[in-house]
Amino acid sequence: MAATVATPVTPTELDPDRCGSEEESRGAEAEEENTQQQIGPAAAVSHSRLSKLPLARIKALMKTDPDVSLASQESVFIIAKATELFVEMIAKDALVYAQQGKRKTLQRKDLDNAIEAIDEFAFLEGTLD
Amino acid sequence: MAERPEDLNLPNAVITRIIKEALPDGVNVSKEARRAISQAASVFVLYATSCANNFAMKAKRKTLNAGDVLAAMEEMEFERFLEPLKEALEVYKKGQKGKKEVSEQKRKDKEKKNDSENDKSREEEEEEEDRMEEEPEAENEAEEEEVEN
Repeated sequence: MAATVATPVTPTELDPDRCGSEEESRGAEAEEENTQQQIGPAAAVSHSRLSKLPLARIKALMKTDPDVSLASQESVFIIAKATELFVEMIAKDALVYAQQGKRKTLQRKDLDNAIEAIDEFAFLEGTLD
Repeated sequence: MAERPEDLNLPNAVITRIIKEALPDGVNVSKEARRAISQAASVFVLYATSCANNFAMKAKRKTLNAGDVLAAMEEMEFERFLEPLKEALEVYKKGQKGKKEVSEQKRKDKEKKNDSENDKSREEEEEEEDRMEEEPEAENEAEEEEVEN
């Protein structure tokens, strides 16, 4: 199958996305390798890589709850990780609405639609500015 | 230092990165959408914490643990998160164990280093040994007394 990237034909909705995502993942991998080289072996071994969100900030957030006295390190980590999964999920679900509106830019209204439509996001109703 | 929930947002750069990695290339995210997702993430943390804390309180524990959070996920209808969370937890636990071993090893190395520095002056060492030989006996006597009591 000949490479479709160089083709001057107006791109359809499907193909460029697929090609684009492949390139992006390759790019992302290259980025990760570079940052690891720059930071050094210690950071590569460090397990903060497991969670993208800073555990200290997550813990501080958790502690604003007056009923919470102590939280184990593991619990803070799992909440951080769950929040990451949550962000991924809500972004993807909101994207569906943007695509329905034939847009490639995710907008606030797409999020509102997702929150209204999806049961798991019911807890968010009325909480966002 | 009392922090209010409104003051504690998750870092924008990280949120943006998570969003970008979740979405296909070519998709943009408006500033308002990003801000709303970041806010939603904070609300999620608070809701999950509250839910997990209920489980801890039911079990009459003051410390939130991993199990409480997993139970909260199920309660919040995020069962789809359970498997990836359990896997991540396993890796995290191994990492923590490794860190403990590394810091213990570092401590041992430090002690070894201190010992080797003492070797520099032999005379001092001999004197120290003489003193040290006397001390343990004194300590032993003290210990025996304590045991008897």
